[in-house]
Amino acid sequence: MKYLMILAASLIGTQAFAAGETVEINPPAEGSISTEDALAAWDRIYEVASHPRCSNCHVGPSNLPMWSGPSYGKARPHGMNINAGESRVGAEFVQCSTCHAYREIATGDRLEHSAPQVAMDWRLAPVEAEWFGKSSVEVCNQLRNPELNGDRDYLAIASHLDHDLILHWAWNPGAGREPAPYSLQEHVNDVLAWGVGGMPCAND
Amino acid sequence: MGIVSSITRRTFLIGSSAIAGGVAFGIFAARQEPENPLVATLEEGEATFNPWVLIDSEKVTLIAPHGDKGQGVLSTQAALIAEEMDLDWGDFDVSFGEPSGAYWNRGFAEEGVPFMSTDDSRMAETMRGIVGGITKLAQVQGTGGSTSMPDSYVKLREAGAMARETLKAAASAKTGVPVSDLKTEIGKVILPDGSELKYTDLAADAADITPIKDTPLRDPSEWKYLGKPMERLDIVAKSTGTMMYGADLSVDGMKFATVCVNPRQGGEMLGFDATAAEALPGVEKVFPITNGVAAVASNTWYAIQAVRAVEFDWGPAPYPAEQDAHWTALENSFGEENLDSEWRNDGDVTTVEGEKVEAEYRSPYVAHAPLEPMNAIVKVTDDGVEIWTGHQMPIFLTQQVAAVAGIEPEQVTFHNQFMGGSFGHRLEFEHIKQAVEVAMEMKGTPVKMTYSREEDFAHDFPRHISMGRCTGVHADGKVVGLDVAVSSPSVLASQGGRLGQGLPGPDSQIAAGAWNNPYGFDNYRMRAYRAPELAPVSSWRAVGANGAGFIFDTILDETIHAAGADPLEERIRLMDHEPSRIALETVGEMSSWGGELAPNQGRGVAYVESFGVPTAQVVQVTNDDGFIKIDKVWIALDVGRVLDPVNFENLVQGGVVFGLGHAMNSEITYSDGMALQTNYHAHEAMRLYQTPEIFVRGLENQPKMRGVGEPPVPVAAPSLGNAIFAATGQRIREMPFNKYVDFV
Amino acid sequence: MKLTVNGTEHEVEVDPNMPLLWVLRDEIGLTGTKYGCGIAQCGACTVHVDGQAVRSCQVAIGDLNGDVTTIEGIGNPETLHAVQESWVEHQVAQCGYCQSGQIMQAASMLEFNPDPSDDVIDAVMSGNLCRCGTYPRIRAAVKTAAAKIREA
Repeated sequence: MKYLMILAASLIGTQAFAAGETVEINPPAEGSISTEDALAAWDRIYEVASHPRCSNCHVGPSNLPMWSGPSYGKARPHGMNINAGESRVGAEFVQCSTCHAYREIATGDRLEHSAPQVAMDWRLAPVEAEWFGKSSVEVCNQLRNPELNGDRDYLAIASHLDHDLILHWAWNPGAGREPAPYSLQEHVNDVLAWGVGGMPCAND
Repeated sequence: MGIVSSITRRTFLIGSSAIAGGVAFGIFAARQEPENPLVATLEEGEATFNPWVLIDSEKVTLIAPHGDKGQGVLSTQAALIAEEMDLDWGDFDVSFGEPSGAYWNRGFAEEGVPFMSTDDSRMAETMRGIVGGITKLAQVQGTGGSTSMPDSYVKLREAGAMARETLKAAASAKTGVPVSDLKTEIGKVILPDGSELKYTDLAADAADITPIKDTPLRDPSEWKYLGKPMERLDIVAKSTGTMMYGADLSVDGMKFATVCVNPRQGGEMLGFDATAAEALPGVEKVFPITNGVAAVASNTWYAIQAVRAVEFDWGPAPYPAEQDAHWTALENSFGEENLDSEWRNDGDVTTVEGEKVEAEYRSPYVAHAPLEPMNAIVKVTDDGVEIWTGHQMPIFLTQQVAAVAGIEPEQVTFHNQFMGGSFGHRLEFEHIKQAVEVAMEMKGTPVKMTYSREEDFAHDFPRHISMGRCTGVHADGKVVGLDVAVSSPSVLASQGGRLGQGLPGPDSQIAAGAWNNPYGFDNYRMRAYRAPELAPVSSWRAVGANGAGFIFDTILDETIHAAGADPLEERIRLMDHEPSRIALETVGEMSSWGGELAPNQGRGVAYVESFGVPTAQVVQVTNDDGFIKIDKVWIALDVGRVLDPVNFENLVQGGVVFGLGHAMNSEITYSDGMALQTNYHAHEAMRLYQTPEIFVRGLENQPKMRGVGEPPVPVAAPSLGNAIFAATGQRIREMPFNKYVDFV
Repeated sequence: MKLTVNGTEHEVEVDPNMPLLWVLRDEIGLTGTKYGCGIAQCGACTVHVDGQAVRSCQVAIGDLNGDVTTIEGIGNPETLHAVQESWVEHQVAQCGYCQSGQIMQAASMLEFNPDPSDDVIDAVMSGNLCRCGTYPRIRAAVKTAAAKIREA
């Protein structure tokens, strides 16, 4: 099937990223973060994870990206009957990149409600990382479980935040969209703090 | 073969009777100055010539004065002529012609009189004649009100017959064979010995012959094209990207422009700073126009970027800034002092005995938003103004252009273009006037002005809002009375006001879709109240019947349900007009009304008459876990005669999609004086996955020829609302319905 | 900047932020690709970049990476593409302004999936807006085109 080739091409595309925001990965000293502080860091992480800029594309096996947040009113699936498919890049239907075009050189302001773009092929997060509508405890347990988080420890999660330009976009969405809370660096710092503090979840 | 040939003014001047060895039937009449006010004189001139057929030694050109905004009338106008003229389908050019009083629209008279379309009384017909005369004297050439076919049906066939008989006379004169022995087929005169003379070869001879008129028209049973599937003349171009819309045309030396005008429509520009805009690449000039700023550049995108970089100081809107105040204005207009007209008062609805149902309804502002944004190419020179754009009102357009440019309308040359939709927006002149202002600043250089989509939404002149206050009365399981009051601003006054024309009488469009439905209620009162002018509004496909038709049919449905009657049976029982009753019975039969449905399914029926077309529709919906899915639609309409069955089906299905889609999710609302909906993301209407199966039946029981561009639209909202009620028990009294339910 | 459109190389001197759409329309003069919304809501500007359907209003020319095919490049009035042929047979167009984009979206889908189910058609073709409401005919024409392509 031809779409599998495109899928392969788009996976390679994830390696590409433009010189974007520089993130420092400086984990706090081992033992310096109490469980309480780590849980506080987690609460901030969850504010980010549950923010529409992030959660709209962290959907489950429906493969339906969501439209929610201040500029959308009631949450609803992405308009135009968009289905990203099991490929999570829309290869079976309309590819995400049909509208969410690759954008690296271009710098100009984008119109409100135009399709978000980065120097990567736009895609849904992996199906295991289903965040949309999930509670803090649910997201927390998913994110610390190597079987559900792409076999990452907290340093790898922080590094992923450094490299994935779609995640960078969440803090710089432009076009009248509300950015994710805090800053990318603060978010990375919270992930590191949560990690050093033992990746606790409220149900522990 | 080009689909549309460009017949310039020059050609017409040369060709008043014979052009380059050819003949132009009736071009002389088309060139006559409209100074003679006597109807009799004009009729005589018109009887002598017809301005729709032009033949030279190269080709046959048919003039199709009704603009084509997608409804396919270019093809159907050509077919009417070709049918009588025996042309080979497609072996001719078609032109939109030039603005001329000769192309006055008889159909407009039908809608301009205060008689129900189903009223064939002598009084009604007399009034139609009088208003028709006025329309003619005022040279109202235009496309709208679903009038293209009513206007063209007889006169274009007569034009074809006249051309055919004149060509036969020319052949007879040339060959000595009596006319009675001549036949015509596929663009030729056939002699008894089988030899052929092409029309084009007879053109020069025909030019010397007085056109032969009063030829009887063929019986429909003899038709070769009409009533049968025809390939639309524009279909290949529209399937290959080769159709040139106004937005696509190019003129030598042309530059690109756009404008940004106060988004508070009609508000002033108090100041602006274009420093940043002028520094952008590709930008040639940024300058003020009426209430805004224009940018001229080497590319439309540069121009759009430029006006976006301008800092504006906008003045306030000349209407209430917030949407709530618009509704309040309507609420406050249900008083004696605002009564525009009491259209019906049959029996006495105030005293009739029975149970009452009372309800209030709202129909919102809605944008036309045709996909081709407003645009025009204009070139201003010392000689006058030349303009290329697609428009529904050619003569008014030349007058408006002339007024802006400070010249005479005769100095304006207008080339009408295929339109990428209109739905009424291309009845407006604001963008035309702006394009002329831009070109005046760039004198000598043709400039293509194109709206950004955001500009188009901000200056859409949406459908008027309306509000209904209604009481239905039922007794013994039957509807026994209906009292419908509708308040809305006058769309005709708003539109006319921008043309400097007043509206002398009541505005039929406040009440359209409510007063004119030919039900035989014993007690029926229909009062229209005119709210003050609010946001500027314009005719939106089917105009008043969208709001008032929704209000009327929904209170009727509510009353029928309260009475415990069957929605279809009760409508049929109440109906007092045979073609309308047949339309209702037909959708009942098509949909197997009364059949088994799943518990989460429901069906609604509605009937609304607009533009003389009885229209009945059944909608079936499924309540899919809280999401409404529209499954199927059955629609029956009586247009008198279906001229092109394929295009008819397409237009009706499109009308259903248009009506349902906007009823589902579209409205324009104002805040801070500006429309909050700036692009299609917030005004989406229907998309393909939401489209139901749509079954169409064209009926031919009514005596008059009717158009079908608009009538499928108004039944959509009430039939959908009635179906949702049937499926869920939830009665929705305000569009768009997605304020109350979710759609799949 | 260089780009290849319908097999022909073009050189344009424009702001790299300029959307491909406006390079095609106002610089190269290929007007079959339409401007409708500018924000990927209507699909009228759909072209192919290396065979994939792309909204040309969303691709900055500076970021274009691949060969462009427009509606003019897949067929013409004399030699219709299977999708165009089906569009003519079903007389899909009303105003026709959206149809270039509809046809390009359909052609791209059928290239990858010549036997699309109704659900796939509904998913793929719902990003293209048709204000005239020709959707029933688009559905039918896509199926006819798919059959033509499978038989070819």
